[in-house]
Parts: sequence; C-alpha cells; structure tokens
Amino acid sequence: MRKGLFFRRGWHLTLLSAGLLFLFLVPLFWMVSTALKPTSDIYADPPKLIPLQPDWTIWGRILADPQISRFFVNSVIVACGTTVVTLSLAVPCAYGLAHLRIRGKAFLLGLSLGSLMFPAIMIATPLYITFGRLGILNTYPALILADTAVSLPFAIVMLRPSFRSVPKALAEAAQIDGCGRFKTFWFIVLPLVVPGILTAAIFTFLAGWGDLLMALTLTTDDSMKPVTAGLFSFIGNNVAQWNRVMALATLQSLPPLFLFLMAQRYVVSGLTDAAVKQ
Amino acid sequence: MVTTPTETPEAVKSGRPARRIQFRLADAADYLFVLPAVLFLAVFLVYPILYNVRLSFIQVTASDLLSGSVAFVGLKNYQEIFQDPLTRLAALNTLTFTVASLFFQIVISMALAVLYRQTFPGSRLMRSLYLAGWAVPVLVSGTVFKWLFDGDSGLVNYALRLIGLSSAPLFWTADQGLALTSTVIANIWLGIPFNLALLYAALQTIPRELYEAAAIDGAKAWSRFFRITLPLIKPALLSTLILGMIYTVKQFELIWTMTQGGPLNSSQVVSTAAYTYTFGQFEFGHGAALLNLTALFLFGATLLYLRSIGREGTA
Repeated sequence: MRKGLFFRRGWHLTLLSAGLLFLFLVPLFWMVSTALKPTSDIYADPPKLIPLQPDWTIWGRILADPQISRFFVNSVIVACGTTVVTLSLAVPCAYGLAHLRIRGKAFLLGLSLGSLMFPAIMIATPLYITFGRLGILNTYPALILADTAVSLPFAIVMLRPSFRSVPKALAEAAQIDGCGRFKTFWFIVLPLVVPGILTAAIFTFLAGWGDLLMALTLTTDDSMKPVTAGLFSFIGNNVAQWNRVMALATLQSLPPLFLFLMAQRYVVSGLTDAAVKQ
Repeated sequence: MVTTPTETPEAVKSGRPARRIQFRLADAADYLFVLPAVLFLAVFLVYPILYNVRLSFIQVTASDLLSGSVAFVGLKNYQEIFQDPLTRLAALNTLTFTVASLFFQIVISMALAVLYRQTFPGSRLMRSLYLAGWAVPVLVSGTVFKWLFDGDSGLVNYALRLIGLSSAPLFWTADQGLALTSTVIANIWLGIPFNLALLYAALQTIPRELYEAAAIDGAKAWSRFFRITLPLIKPALLSTLILGMIYTVKQFELIWTMTQGGPLNSSQVVSTAAYTYTFGQFEFGHGAALLNLTALFLFGATLLYLRSIGREGTA
C-alpha cells in the first residue's frame, strides 16, 4: 500500500506543483544565472543553463562603480522618504475614515478608490511641468512627492479595513476614561493595527523602490537617478551587455525579495483585503 | 477640489447653548486626522488631474509652458488624436493586450488556485513562492523578459527549437508582428501572482463540505468545478477581472521596458502612446487628451468594480 499512501498524502500534487512553480520561476532563475556568467558564456549555443563556474568579476565591477552606488543611495532615499511621507498622511486619514464622524467620508474614500484607476502618467505630466517651473526637477523631494501621490490613495484604501477591525467601543471607553482623542489614537488604537501598517509600509516601499515612470519623467541628471532609471539606461542601447544588466537587475530585486520573504503573510492578506474588503 | 469641511460652521452660527458648541468644536478636531491627506491629495492628485483636463483643451509646446502663454483650442487636440493612426493603433493594441492578458491570467491562476486549494506536502510554501514574481519591480521583469525573448541567444527561442516548434530565430521584441505578443506573455506572467492570491482567497470561502457532499452524490471533479466553484466565486471573479482590467489598461512600465512601443509603433498601447505624444513629440495636448479618454473609460470600469464589491458585501 505504499503507492496508495503516496497518493493519499498528496505527494503527486507536490510533484505537479513543484514542476509548475519551477516553470513560473524560470525568468528569475535565468536572471540570476545570466548574472553569474562570464561574457563569453552568455551567447553560448546551446545556452548553459546553470553557471557551474560562476564569474564574479561583473559583480565586483558593479559594486565598485560609484555611479551604481549612487543609483542605490538615491533609491533608498526615495523609497524610504515615500514610505515615511505616505504613512504619516495615510495612517491618521484611514483612522478618521474608519472611526470618526466626519462629513465627506464617502467622498474621500471614493476619491481614494477612484484614483487607483488613473494612469500614473496623468500625474506625471502636470508634475513635470509644475516641478519644472518651481525648479525642483532632479531633486529628492520631487521624486518623493510624486511617488507619494501614487501610493497614498492605495495606502489609505489598504489601511482602512485594519482600523475598522478595531472595535469602536475600545476607543470610546478610552475617551470616557479621560484619554484625549490624539492620545487614544496613538496609544490605544495604533498598537492594534501595527500589522496593517507594516503591510502598507511594505507596499509603499516596494512602489517607491520599483517606480520607473516618475524616475524617467522627473530626473535627467545621472546623479539623481534611482536604480530603476539606471537599469533602464543600461538596456536603452541595442548592444546590452546582458550579464551586467542581469547583475544590476538581481541586485535591485534583492531588497523587495528580502522584504517579501520576511513578511509574506502580511503581503498576502494585505493584497486580498485591499481588493475585496471595503 | 475636495470639499471636505474642516469645521462645522452651522453649529457655531445657530447660537445653541455653549456646551453644545464646545462639543461640536471638539468634533471638528476629528477633521485634523484627515486634513493633511486631503490637502496632499488636493495638491498632488486632484490638481494634476484637472491640469490634465486643461492641457487637453489648449495648444501648448514646451516653450509655451515656460512662458505661460497658451491658446484655447477647444476639441482640436481630441480631433487630431482621433485622426492620428497612432491613437487608433494604440487603442486596438490596448484591447488585444488587455483581453489576451486577462484571459490567460485568469485561466492559469484559476487552475493554480484550484490546485493549491488541495492540501498536500509543501502546498503553502509553494503557493507563496509565486509572489516572488510580484515582489520584483516591473522594470526588472520587463528587462528579464526582453532578454528571454532575445533573438540570438534568448532562452525562449532555444526552448522552441528544443521542442521542435521553430528552428529559425524569432526576434520577438524587435519584430513588428511579435512585439505585442511578447509583451502580452510577459504581462500574463506578471499578473499570475496577484490573480492567484485573490482567487485562492475566494476559493477558501467555499466550505469543503459542499464538495464532499457533491462527491458522495457522484459529481465528477469537472462538474464540481462548474456547478459549485464557479457560481460561488462569481462575484470575486468579477472584481478580480475588473481590477485586472484597470491594471492592464494602465500598464506602462513593462511595455516601455521591453519595446518602448516599437518597432514602428507596433506595440504601442494608450499609456505608451500618451507618453510618446508628451515626452517624445512634446505634444502635451495630445498626450493629455488621450489620457483623459483612457481615464474616462477606466472610471466607468471602476464604478462597475465598486458596484461589484458592494454587491459582494451585501450578499
């Protein structure tokens, strides 16, 4: 009955699933594989699927390149700045929408939900013109404000359900006990929605980190470009050096992948909640 | 503009007893929670969108923008983009791109969701690993797919040759007839993690007893899917579809990374065409007009989405 047990436990499904997952992950595997090949192996025919003798010279050159370090510094500043600005606006707003008696709530929620559908380019052009007039193109604030404009509605929409899951009676009880509204928010409600805030923070960070549109539109100066615009400029010419391109692609995928592995439970629940629980 | 009142003036005006007024004023402090976000959205979201509407009705060039001198031209920008073959091609491509992407995304994700609904060793871990595809920046995925579709040394051509489908190398992203197809394939891949997460969550709401009862009644797996699963997750399927449509019509970065709308505009969609108008030809009015029409279309879709969520909530 060993065969029967194999099927009853579902090991045949494990095999099927592993095969499908492998197929799905081929692009990411190929990215890393190419990044570890010496230039002579990239164009080998048939392709060498696994780099048995990984070549790290390209990595050494990338890590030592001051321009590329600059790209990364810019991305870290922009993504972190966007996360801080977005959350400090979205967290109190989501609380207000979920708990407080405020007029125009439906309108504000509708605006946030509605703005999720606008193509980000609609914001990019006016911001390009306005920031150009103000002379703040090629600055961190320009990128942070633009990325926040894209992320904020989503963060509000995403945070509201977690505030709603906190019983209103709890906040009311605290207020009856003489706790002011800001203290109630800060000390009573906020600690209960930390997982939700963490989810929103991850999403905002990923959006800021991965943004290409605003980076292309609002920065022209190489010293201000985030790593997305840097990678884009690597593939712009037709003779892309693919191991170098893939090494940079791998490098800029590491922070999101790391974040995602650390907090995947939050990510999954955040995704589905924002999409269906409103 | 956003019309959320920041205080309640009528309470002050009506001259009610002092205690009552104090209470209402205290309530007004509640607005401080939403005020910063409202102001930010007004300046950085609502104003740009209105600005875009204005741009679409004026004649502007890059130098006009700096000097501020603009001429109102009515619907001229809209007429011009309708006559431009680029707009028509972009609209048609957007339709193809969206329908093909959504169809395969939903079918594949649905099959995967049904698979991962079963319990088997490693099911949870393997299901969550799909999200790796979602965590990676879109630009990175686009870059990797551009390399996979490379004509000389791409893995896709190698795989096609291996299974005997095609021996001549295909220059996917550089071929007028294949560029859009290559972006669709990449976009299907891109959408699977998100769709799988949503559809899996929907499947979880169906009680297992239903399937057990149906199995006892002799229902085959296929008919269990069409008679039980599909009808029960129809609302979730609908909202996944509409959400997916909004994301797909908006898609810019993937296509811009892989083909930049080329070669010869063969893979232009509305978002890349608008970007080309604005930052390639500096026809700001044309870009704005095209985006406004797209937004109008998506607005309708969003209303549908909100209604489907509402219905789900009441069901």
